[in-house]
Amino acid sequence: MIEFVNVTKHYPGRRHVLREVTLRLGQGEMALLTGPSGSGKSTLLKLLTRLEDVSHGTLMVGGVDLAMLRRRHIPADRRRIGVVFQDHKLLMDRDIFSNVALTLQVAGVSGRQVESRVRAALDRVGLGERWREFPETLSGGEQQRVGIARAIVHTPEILLADEPTGNLDPALSTEILDLFRDFHHHGTTVLVATHDQAQVERLGMPVLHLEHGRLMVPKELS
Amino acid sequence: MNLHARTLALRNARDTLLRQPAATVLTILALSVVLALPVGLFTVLGNLQNLLGHWRNQAQISLYLHRNAGPVAVARLRARLERSPGVVGVRYVGQTEALAEFQHYSGMMAAIRTLGENPLPASLIVELNPLAQSPQILEASVQRWSRDPAVASAQSDLQWVARLQAIVSLGTRAVWALAFLLALGAVLVMGNTIRLHIAQRRDEIDISALVGATRSFIRRPFLYQGLIQGVLAGVLAWLIVMAAIWYLQGPVNRLAALYGTRFPLVSLTPGQGMALVALSAFLGWLGSRIAVGRRLDNTFS
Repeated sequence: MIEFVNVTKHYPGRRHVLREVTLRLGQGEMALLTGPSGSGKSTLLKLLTRLEDVSHGTLMVGGVDLAMLRRRHIPADRRRIGVVFQDHKLLMDRDIFSNVALTLQVAGVSGRQVESRVRAALDRVGLGERWREFPETLSGGEQQRVGIARAIVHTPEILLADEPTGNLDPALSTEILDLFRDFHHHGTTVLVATHDQAQVERLGMPVLHLEHGRLMVPKELS
Repeated sequence: MNLHARTLALRNARDTLLRQPAATVLTILALSVVLALPVGLFTVLGNLQNLLGHWRNQAQISLYLHRNAGPVAVARLRARLERSPGVVGVRYVGQTEALAEFQHYSGMMAAIRTLGENPLPASLIVELNPLAQSPQILEASVQRWSRDPAVASAQSDLQWVARLQAIVSLGTRAVWALAFLLALGAVLVMGNTIRLHIAQRRDEIDISALVGATRSFIRRPFLYQGLIQGVLAGVLAWLIVMAAIWYLQGPVNRLAALYGTRFPLVSLTPGQGMALVALSAFLGWLGSRIAVGRRLDNTFS
């Protein structure tokens, strides 16, 4: 599903952010991406959504070489992926329903289907009754749940999360990461970047550890 | 792209405009004034040309006929003149009528009587629309007509026609230049307005791009916004021009009455009005297109 082969990312005039990263994450697998700040976790996720381009090496997602993907096909490719951000990236002037519906609207899903699918996604993250509220009335954990609902409402093949529990207390972090594990159990390929060591140990998932742009891959993913 | 997406974009554009009613109204007002100015000037220019067209008795050519020119030759010449472009009327002035006019205007009848017979020739007075043709073409026509066997000589004063046409041409060109500048102004007004909307909605644009929105999906609400404001500004500009013409009609009526005539001002025809609205909509769309295109280049680069 996701395959990095000797992927390097560097910016002109700056040090290498990723160095010859090689890993393979099969369909329905889940892994945790760990490492200190600045180790390249966010950059690795950005490569998967083509927010950044690979400098060297090959990156395949769902059998597609992202370097060969034409620019106009990037939006369609992004619709195969759900992304959850540390800062939620919610539209504060839109209600919860509209925030989650955005993912379906950009995909051209018709109005009636949008409503049922958004309600189902919000039910899955435990916010089914609060769809008319605005994000500012929600707690940090609830806002993150809205972000997750937006990421999974179109049932993506791949779910990426960049420090989704970064601003949450341990109890909420557990709830959120359990949600990701639940999606993994339903067949979604999940890659979660986190530096929460306690949660990493609790989940017992394969760990990809980044250190200065180099990846330490567990045997089962190499 | 399906109808649902377009409806969604239209609703999005409408909601954005309604969320900031004061800014929306100000933009529409600014655009309508920018458009009403050149359109109003074109309308005034059109009325001026109509007015000059009414002064056709000021553009006359007198073709003096040979004494021996027979009625058939004169009738044939008259028919030929009436068919000529730019000629709005041909009047025959016989010898007796010419003498009566001379008597009326000069008061020198005693001198004429000493000659024994009427020395004044018959003539054909050709009335021209001074703006229908260039002075060069008119001059060539006069030359051609003066070579007719029935014509003894021709008298014309086309100098003032040349001057009049030069003034009208200058005015038309000045209005076109102004119209171009103001159209550019309209695009800039709309571009700047949309740019501000884009700045306010930068998060929405970035998040939409992250979840897989295409350029056209993101661009469409902004284009509709420009289009809606353009249409409303065009309608308002049309109303402004009509109101201005109505406002001027009273004084024009009083002025025309002093000259013993009537001069109804011509406003925009429905076709011209619709063209104005269409142009305004296009300028609104264009301004939005430029502004949103630049932002999307950054988002998708």
